[in-house]
This record gives sequence, C-alpha cells and structure tokens, in this order.
Amino acid sequence: MSIYHTAQAIEASALGQTIRESTWLFPAIEATHLLALALLGGSVLIIALSVLGLGLKTAPAELCKSARPYMNGAIIALLITGILLGVSEPVKLYGRQAFWVKMISLAIALVITYFAFNPAVARGGRGVGVRTITGLTLAAWLMVAMAGRWIGFS
Amino acid sequence: MLEGLVNKLAETPWSIGLHESLYMYAITESTHVISIMLFVGTIAMVDFRLLGVSYRQVPVSQMLSRMLPWTVAGFVLLVTTGAMLFLAIPIRTYHSIWFRLKCIMILIAAVNIAVFTFKVERDKAAWDLGPVPRKSKICAAVSLGAWGCVIVFGRLIAYNWFDCDSINSPTLLELTGCPQDIG
Repeated sequence: MSIYHTAQAIEASALGQTIRESTWLFPAIEATHLLALALLGGSVLIIALSVLGLGLKTAPAELCKSARPYMNGAIIALLITGILLGVSEPVKLYGRQAFWVKMISLAIALVITYFAFNPAVARGGRGVGVRTITGLTLAAWLMVAMAGRWIGFS
Repeated sequence: MLEGLVNKLAETPWSIGLHESLYMYAITESTHVISIMLFVGTIAMVDFRLLGVSYRQVPVSQMLSRMLPWTVAGFVLLVTTGAMLFLAIPIRTYHSIWFRLKCIMILIAAVNIAVFTFKVERDKAAWDLGPVPRKSKICAAVSLGAWGCVIVFGRLIAYNWFDCDSINSPTLLELTGCPQDIG
C-alpha cells in the first residue's frame, strides 16, 4: 500500500472521522498542542540559556533534573495531540510540503535532543561542543515549530 | 468610540496591505505562535519554581532576574506581532468573543504580575532558597492558569462559531458588541 493509500485509510478510520466531524475536538486538540509547545519551549530554553551563559548560573546538568520531566512530558503531549490532528486530515497533509518539512525536522530534532543534547548537557560544562549542540537543538525545534504553523497556510 | 476607531483602522492602507499580503500575514502569525515558546515557556518555568515544585536549587531571586530578560523579549515579540495581527483583521477581531476573553485573561495576568512585584516578592530574600510561602504559590498558579487561557482563547479566535453573522442570542450579541439588526 502506498503512503497515499495509507493516508486515505487513516482518513476513513473511526478516529479520524470522529475528530473531523466534531466542532470542538479539533480546536481543543490544537489548543493542547500549543500549550505543550509552550512547555517544550520553556524546558529546553532554561537548559539551553544556561549552557550558553545567557540564563541561570546553576549548572545545566543540575537544571536538567527539574527540566527534563517537563521536556519529556511536553514532547509526549505534542506527539499524541499531533498524531490526533494528523489522523483527522491525513490526505490534506500528504499533499502539503510544510508537513513533510515538519516531519523531517521533527525526526532531526528528536535525534539531536535525545542523542546529542541530553548526553552533552549531562556530561557537564559549557564548552564549545555542548554550546554548538545546544544551538543546533534550538534551531531544529524552531524549524519544527515554523514548519508546523506553515502547514495551516500552505 | 472604540468601535469607530476600529472601523477607521480597517480602512487604513496598512490594514488592507497586511490582510491581503501573501506572506506577511503568515510570517506574522507564525512569529506570534513561536514567541509563545519564549514568553509563556520561560514564565512557566519561573512559575514552577515559585510553586516550589521544581528548580528548588536555584534561588528565587536568580530565577526571576536571569529569566526576566527572555520573558520580556518574548513579550515584545508577542505584542508587536499581536498588534499587527489585530491591524490586519480589526473589525472581526474586535467583535470576537475569544479575543475579548483573551484580553480579560491578559488583564488578570497583568494584575497578578503587579501584585507579585509590589507585594509578594518584596521579602523574597527570606525565602530565596527555603520553602516558598503560600502567596508565592497562589501568584504562580494564577499566572499559569491565566497565560494558559490566553493561549487557548487566542487559538480559538480563528474559529467563526461566534462571528457576528452566526449568532442570534441577545446575550452573545451584547457580549460581542455585534450590531443587533444584522445578527
């Protein structure tokens, strides 16, 4: 089955239909997606700013203990609400370039965050290496957010 | 009077230009949404500290002073882009029930900030690293609730459920300030 046919099958699913046909469901999920976005921004920024020497003086590795549950929670909430939004209109998304840009940058952002940013921050310090990774992490998430908003305009 | 001003605003070339532009409106709205990460994101982290649930190893005074510049930066971005978005669609936004609720929530959040600044944080030296007092927790909870509502109501402005041409109830017409004869 091609990706397009899969999208059609998802669109016809009961879940997709329920979200699409309800007046309040899509906006409610969308609003939750945005609330989680704010939480992700805050939890990543508080660590990132400290690494870059532009925020808290507390060691970034220390901040992680508090920030990481918010970061993980926000990412989980974003993925769940994002999937629900996608399930309601997959055929439309299939044809939108911004959606694919978002999915690719999302994959990159997740890999950088969990396989580069988190381990580098945990190793400690504010050296060039961890600063570079931090910059890339911020750029990746910014790209995800911009491409995400652009889906609605394209 | 306010309505007359809004109607005048809608006739300005700036309003029409923003409204009809292919990219400018989209860029403005995207910037508005992304700035939420900076503004509400940093506020939420500070609020979790003021609630006493997270970042307890960071002194309250440092949390406030080192995060505030970023919150202010987010605020400037949001107000600028927000004003541009209003300018692009003045009349519909002015009558939007969600926009009006959003303004009320911003007002509540602003009063809360004033109370925190002029009353609650004055003796913060006494609880910089110790257990946070109840008043701090209350302010943090009000802040989280109000800004959360600002995000949700802001998103709902895009939906036309309660636009002037789709409402009939006298209460809603009153609340939205929509012309009674058209409704």
